[in-house]
Amino acid sequence: MPTIGRILLVEDDPRDVELTMTALEEYNLSNEVVVAVDGEEALDYLFCRGKFQRRTSENPAVLLLDLKLPKVDGLEVLQQIKSDERLKMIPVVILTSSREERDMVASYKLGVNAYVVKPVDFHEFVNAIKELGVFWAIINEAPPGSIRNK
Amino acid sequence: MSHWKASLAKIPSPIQRYGLAVLSVAIALGIALFLERYQFRGVEFPLFLFSIALTVWYAGVGPAVVSVALSSIAFDYFFTEPLYSLYIRGSDLPYYAIFVSFASLLTWFSAIRHRAERDLLRSRDELQKEVEVRTQQASLLNLTHDTIFVRDMGGIITYWNRGAQELYGWTPEQAVGKRSHDLLRTVFPAPIEEISAELLRAGRWEGELKHVKADQTEVVVSSRWSLRRNEEKKPVAVLETNNDITERKRGEEEVRKLNQQLGKRTTELEAINKELEAFAYSVSHDLRAPLRHIAGYTELLQKNASAVVDEKGRRYMATILESAKRMGTLIDDLLAFSRIGRAETRETMVSLEQLVKEVQSELWQETDGRNIAWRIGTLPDLYGDRSMLKLVLVNLISNAIKFTRKSSRPEIEIGCTEEKKDGMVVFIRDNGVGFDMKYVNKLFGVFQRLHRTEEFEGTGIGLATVQRIIHRHGGQVWAEGLVGGGATFYLSLPKP
Repeated sequence: MPTIGRILLVEDDPRDVELTMTALEEYNLSNEVVVAVDGEEALDYLFCRGKFQRRTSENPAVLLLDLKLPKVDGLEVLQQIKSDERLKMIPVVILTSSREERDMVASYKLGVNAYVVKPVDFHEFVNAIKELGVFWAIINEAPPGSIRNK
Repeated sequence: MSHWKASLAKIPSPIQRYGLAVLSVAIALGIALFLERYQFRGVEFPLFLFSIALTVWYAGVGPAVVSVALSSIAFDYFFTEPLYSLYIRGSDLPYYAIFVSFASLLTWFSAIRHRAERDLLRSRDELQKEVEVRTQQASLLNLTHDTIFVRDMGGIITYWNRGAQELYGWTPEQAVGKRSHDLLRTVFPAPIEEISAELLRAGRWEGELKHVKADQTEVVVSSRWSLRRNEEKKPVAVLETNNDITERKRGEEEVRKLNQQLGKRTTELEAINKELEAFAYSVSHDLRAPLRHIAGYTELLQKNASAVVDEKGRRYMATILESAKRMGTLIDDLLAFSRIGRAETRETMVSLEQLVKEVQSELWQETDGRNIAWRIGTLPDLYGDRSMLKLVLVNLISNAIKFTRKSSRPEIEIGCTEEKKDGMVVFIRDNGVGFDMKYVNKLFGVFQRLHRTEEFEGTGIGLATVQRIIHRHGGQVWAEGLVGGGATFYLSLPKP
C-alpha cells in the first residue's frame, strides 16, 4: 500500500464537497482530506492558527482550491501561500467552475501548479477528481515536510 | 525752390567757384570804373559788396574770402587816395576797415543763411521721402484683408483700414474719432485694467474679444494689440489687428460638445462593458455550479436508488442529466460568444488554404466513414486574427458536414468567387438540407435555429459567432439557400 498525502480541500459549497468526497472515496483517498470552507479557514490551517493551532506543523501534500470563496478568495489564498517561504512548496491545484481567461492567467502568474475546470458532466467530474487525487496524493512525490500516511 | 539746389549744383568745381569770385569782382570793378567816368561817385562800395554777396551765395565761403580780398585791393587801388597805389592813408583806414568788416559780415551772414537754407531743403526732401514711404505703407495696410486700426491712448480711433471696414461695416470716416471700445461694444476676456497693465508691461497683448458689428451681429475676433511709444518711450498709440474667428469658435464649440457627448457615451459603454463582463464572469462561475450539482446528484441517484425507481423514474433522471448537460454546453457556447466581442484581435497574414486544411483534419471525427466530395478551389491569403478566422471556418465547415448528413452524395465546395481591388468574397457551399430563404434574417441571430434539435444538434450560436468575427474584421456575411437544395455561405473580407 503506497503512502497517501494529505489533501486540503478548500470549498465553500457543501454539495461540491460531497461530490468531491464521493469521487475520492472510490480510491480511498477521502480519509486524508481536510476541508476548509473559506479562504480564512484554509489560511488558519496552513499557518496552524485558530482552531488548527494544535495540529502538527507539516504541510498538506496538495491543496485543492476553489476560486470563489467567502471572506478570503482563492487567488488571495494562493498569493499568500506562494509568498510564504515555508508554504510556497505546497502544490496548489485550482479547482473551479470558471473558464475565465483572466482567472487562469492570474493563477498561473501567482505560480499555481495546475488549473482544473470542474466539468458539468458528473462522470467527467468524478474522473477529473480521481485523477487529481491519485496523481497529487499518491503518484507525485510531495515536497519534504508534507503529511503522508499509510 | 528747387532751382536753388540746381544753381548750387551748377558750380561744382573749385576753378569755376574761384573763377566766379574773380569774375564778379572784375565785373563790379568794370561797372564802377565805367560809372566813375560819367561822374557817378560812391557806387563802387555797394557794387563790391554785391559781387561779394553773389560769390558767397553761389560759390561758398572760400571764394567769398578771395573776392573780399580782391575787392579790398581794387577798392584801395582804384578808389581811395592816392589813386593807382596800394598805399592806404591813415585817415582812410577806418573807412577801409568798415568796408572789410562789412564785407566779412555779409559773407558770414550769407554763409549762415545759405547753410540754413540748404539744411532746410535737405530736411524737406527727407520729409517728402518719408511721407512717400509712409503713404505707401498706409496704403499697404489698406490692401490687407486683416482688420487693422489704430487708437490713441484715450481709445480714440485714428486709423481704420479697409479690412476693418469689411469686417465691422463702418467706413474710416465713420470710425475715426470714435472710442473703439464704445463703437465695437468690446467684451474683454479679463478686466480691462489687467489687459492695459499687460499691454504697458510687455508692449503687446493677445486675446479673444467679442465685438458688435454695424449690422448689430456679434463677432468673435482673435485680437493682437501692439503698443507704440514715442522717442521719450511714452506710449502714444495702440495698433489693433483682429481676425474673425466666429466660425472657428462655433466649430470648436460643436467639436467640444460632440467630444463631451462622446466621452459620456464612452463612459456609458465602458460601464456597460464592465457590467457585461461581470455578468459573464458570474454566469461562468455561478450558473455552472448548480448545473453540476443537478447532474452530480442525479447521477448518484441513478447509481444508488435505481432499485427503488421504476422505468419511468429512470427515464426522468436520464432526461434531467441530458438537459443539464445541454445547458452546460449552452452556457459554454454563450460565454465563448461573448468573449469574441471582448477579446482583442491579434492580426497577422493568414493563409486561408492552410487554415481550411487544418480545420478539415480537426473535424475528421465528424467526416470519418462518410464519403464527402470536397471541392476546394484556390483560396486567398487574409489579414486577420488566425484563431478567430479558424473558428469561422470550423463553424461553417462543421455546419456543412452536419447538414449534408442525410445527403446520398454529400458535396462541400469552398472557393473564392471574386477578388476585387478592395476585398474578396469566399464561399462555402453544400448540397445538404438547405433552408427556407424566408428565414434568412434569423440565420445569424444568437440562439436562432432553423432545425429541431432531434434533427440536427446545436445551440444556435455558431453562425452568430461567425457573423461577429467577420464584422470585427470589417467584413460582411450572408447566405443563400433552398429547402432540400443546399446552402451557400458568403464572407466578404476587406483586402489586407
